[in-house]
Amino acid sequence: MTGADSHLFDAPGPRAVRRTIIGSGVAAVFAVALIVYVLMELSAKGQLSAAKWSPFLKYDLIKFLLHGLAYTAGAAVVSLGLALVLGIALGVGRLTRTAIIRMPCVAIVELGRGLPVLLSMLFLFLAFPLAFHIDLPAFWTVVLALVLYNGAVIAEIVRAGVLTLPKGQREAAFAIGLTGTQTMRLVLLPQALRIMLPSLISQLVVLIKDSALGFIVGYQELTAQAQSAALLFNNPLQTYVVVGVVYILVNSVLSEASTYLGERQKRTLSQKVVTAGDAVTIESR
Amino acid sequence: MPDSLIVLDKVNKWFGGLHALRDINLSVKAGEVVVVAGPSGSGKSTMCRTINRLETIDNGTIFVNGEPLPAEGRELAKLRSEVAMVFQQFNLFSHLNILDNVALGPMKVRRQPKAEAHQQARDLLVRVGIGDQAEKYPAQLSGGQQQRAAIARALAMRPKAILFDEPTSALDPEMVNEVLEVMTQLARDGMTMLVVTHEMGFARRVAHRVVFMDTGQIVEEAPPEAFFTNPQTERARDFLGKILK
Repeated sequence: MTGADSHLFDAPGPRAVRRTIIGSGVAAVFAVALIVYVLMELSAKGQLSAAKWSPFLKYDLIKFLLHGLAYTAGAAVVSLGLALVLGIALGVGRLTRTAIIRMPCVAIVELGRGLPVLLSMLFLFLAFPLAFHIDLPAFWTVVLALVLYNGAVIAEIVRAGVLTLPKGQREAAFAIGLTGTQTMRLVLLPQALRIMLPSLISQLVVLIKDSALGFIVGYQELTAQAQSAALLFNNPLQTYVVVGVVYILVNSVLSEASTYLGERQKRTLSQKVVTAGDAVTIESR
Repeated sequence: MPDSLIVLDKVNKWFGGLHALRDINLSVKAGEVVVVAGPSGSGKSTMCRTINRLETIDNGTIFVNGEPLPAEGRELAKLRSEVAMVFQQFNLFSHLNILDNVALGPMKVRRQPKAEAHQQARDLLVRVGIGDQAEKYPAQLSGGQQQRAAIARALAMRPKAILFDEPTSALDPEMVNEVLEVMTQLARDGMTMLVVTHEMGFARRVAHRVVFMDTGQIVEEAPPEAFFTNPQTERARDFLGKILK
């Protein structure tokens, strides 16, 4: 036991080691048995046949699904950009002393966080044409719903980030004569955003997964494309497995990136401590 | 008090039920160095922080340069830029390098062009003895270097006075002197300074006047020589007995 685990548990003694080995062995046997059983049943029902899986080697199907992936990425990136803008505005708005600015921000954040993304999508889909006499394009239906929810979440991340900063940063900014707005823009937000970067990337993962709901309003993202393809080739199970793997791959790359950024921040910090140590040595000479 | 730069007139402050500042009357003349001493919890930091309104007061009046302290807005920001402050915890902006820390105020408050603000910042860093650290970030500097950078940041605003709130209390002992030397030089150059500190050696050498506070009151006020050799009150004698071993 090394690394993070060792902070949580005692190093195991001989009896614990024996128990762990026996327990893991039993669990492994059960897991393998379950997998074998499921595969045998699927095979018996023809689900593992070449006919069901071979379409994924066809260029046309790959292109069709990649189109979906591109739409998913498009909606996710645009949503994240706009959600960031909305989130910073709402987060800062919630931190102001002026009630007339703060209260609407609180209201929008609570609305955005509380409403399921699916419901906001349906609401936009149904209400927008009635109100404005034109259809809202599927892309914007998806993006606006995602922006509302993720903007609210990011607002809370921004607020927490600013509140985490030491009180002295604000006081020092005031003490050199910066106004409240300048203090937020030049001193507090840049530091808060740096702290928040890993959380923001994690939020992108949530956003990508939620974009799958776009199929309900006819947006041709990955899940919607999978649904159509599955009808064509009569292999829904196989298609969803493939698409699921694609989602997992994309999101695990993003999670890794977020972990890496978090680690790098920690590393830079410790490097700085080392450098500070050097500085101390030089200083005391 | 025509020549007084900072005046506190019957200032009172409560923290809930605690009477933190009791009828404080104090005036600091231009060019004067006043050291505020006293046991912890005596209200000396609080008093220091009221002068640029980082702490509000409940009654009484504070005058800076003959004008009552503004309560808010641009007037308050302008006043703060003229009465600089150096903190116990340095409070350098951790996302900016040392040069930008020093140049931020002149650029954003005084609207100085970047080149001019940076040149001034470099000159000031040389003056406080860390000219070679300009490109580093605060976390890469020792405590003493950080505090000297914070003093340079204060000086960059060309303030009329500087408030020092326990500037050496968070430093490792071997770094206290480098900061005190910079402060001593400032005093020699004629800067108006209000210094909250436990450094009695500094008070003795540099201060024009020592103000001794206890339980939120100014108990005694005297030139350093008189204060250290012949304290008038029992509380001051008791405090000096503890602090001067």
